[in-house]
Amino acid sequence: MLREQFPGLKVKVHGKPLVYLDNAATAQRPQVVIDAINNYYLYNNANIHRGVHSLSESATELYEQARVSMAKLINAPSAKDLIFVRGCTEGVNLVAQTFVRSRLKADDEILISHLEHHSNIVPWQILCEQTGAKLKVIPMNDQGELVLDELDQLLSAKTKFMSVVHVSNALGTINPVKTMIQAAHDKGIPVLVDGAQATPHIKVDVQDLDCDFYTVSGHKMYGPTGSGVLYGKAEHLNAMPPYHGGGEMISKVTFESSIYNAVPAKFEAGTPNIAGGIGLGAAAEFMMSVGMDKIAQRDQALRAYAEQALLQVPGLRIVGTAEHKSPVFSFVIDGIHAHDIGTIIDHHGVAIRTGHHCTMPIFQYFGLAGSCRASFAFYNTEKEADVLVESLLKAIAMFE
Amino acid sequence: MSDLSKLYKATILEHNRNPRNFGKPDSWTHEAEGLNAVCGDLVHVYLTIKDHVLEQVSYAGESCAISMASASMMTEFSQGMTTQQWRHHFELFKQLMDKAGRVDSFPELGVVNTLVTVKKFPSRIKSATLCWYALAAAIDGQPTATTE
Repeated sequence: MLREQFPGLKVKVHGKPLVYLDNAATAQRPQVVIDAINNYYLYNNANIHRGVHSLSESATELYEQARVSMAKLINAPSAKDLIFVRGCTEGVNLVAQTFVRSRLKADDEILISHLEHHSNIVPWQILCEQTGAKLKVIPMNDQGELVLDELDQLLSAKTKFMSVVHVSNALGTINPVKTMIQAAHDKGIPVLVDGAQATPHIKVDVQDLDCDFYTVSGHKMYGPTGSGVLYGKAEHLNAMPPYHGGGEMISKVTFESSIYNAVPAKFEAGTPNIAGGIGLGAAAEFMMSVGMDKIAQRDQALRAYAEQALLQVPGLRIVGTAEHKSPVFSFVIDGIHAHDIGTIIDHHGVAIRTGHHCTMPIFQYFGLAGSCRASFAFYNTEKEADVLVESLLKAIAMFE
Repeated sequence: MSDLSKLYKATILEHNRNPRNFGKPDSWTHEAEGLNAVCGDLVHVYLTIKDHVLEQVSYAGESCAISMASASMMTEFSQGMTTQQWRHHFELFKQLMDKAGRVDSFPELGVVNTLVTVKKFPSRIKSATLCWYALAAAIDGQPTATTE
């Protein structure tokens, strides 16, 4: 059983079996990921790309093998097109500052969507402050789907870059990013896709999407926290200046000047999160061995079941009802605040997220301060959806 | 009684259902907003202070039951106090709600002592204290308060 491979799911909370439905915040990790991290610290602990001694060589090999695994997972043309980063947030900031910034002048435009996480809003706002550029937003409808009729008009002569989320963390909406990228490319506009919530659920093929950049968060796809990759087209990465200066990213340093290393080392200053990178590679291998098609299928079965179960709860309203969705449910219940629900159902072992989920503009659209969010992963069960519903009914009873 | 039942005990649920002094008043002399950025709780406190006395204390906002009940109790509790008396009680309240504190009640705080059960839910303490910080900010002429 796949579920058995996730030791974190075996803990008890308030004496009840854990029902972990906060996967969009961070997923649980399989034993193979934990083992890969331990294996590095126990038997291969050395710095990478530095020593000639055996341990340094084996650590380097493990780290670079992880890069290859991640490249396979998202079908990048080469492992060299992947930069190890701390997560999507760092990936977006890196692209904003080293790729987009030099292309902007005052009154140019950057296009994002209403469904973005704060991490794909704020880096662009900072860039706008630095350059005098303007941030434009693709609107969404009441279902939480992007209104793409307006995309063509929003991709104007002033648009220099588009950055859009693949799957919404708050509502679960799966955006038709391939079509959107095509529309932007027709006008010569490069595109970054924030894949934080996509890689755990659906097969991602960066060559098929033809995106210029794609960010992956390790801890959302069953890997370690503080790990992730930024994919970029080789032509872009080669032309971009470094992001951080330091060791590893140079090939020669004198006090007069430095010569930068080749990609990807150019963007990986300092000793990286070696164990995290190795763990992430193990997560990628794990997902490929399960099969992304199987994961996506299981997700959709859970989504259908959980949606029907939740709709049986009196006074419950699901926020975000897009046709194409991952198994993420934002919901509100009449007369009970999300934080109260979160606290009460925690006592029944059920872990969900409450609040604005780092997507305040989405909830401003719906006139809400926030919501409850139950986010499923393939290892969750139909029975757990039932426990969620039972615990919600108990919360309602408490407030009656 | 379980910790959970103690948290959502009758007093708190009753104040949540029938909040006292709730809503923006027609007039006031002092106001401040309390914002808990992490969870999104927002409480607005309005005061009418005359000769250093809190003649009218009201609040508005949208937040959880703990936050609503705490604000409702606070308005009833604070009305009629001088600002100096209120500050003294605020210090006691902070001690009451201090995670590391050992005191479970202060006779001076009366019904407000009900809120001590929130201490067993560390992630919710700020829900209970936000409105008090907002009231303190309003007295001090500060536009906003946070519990950070």
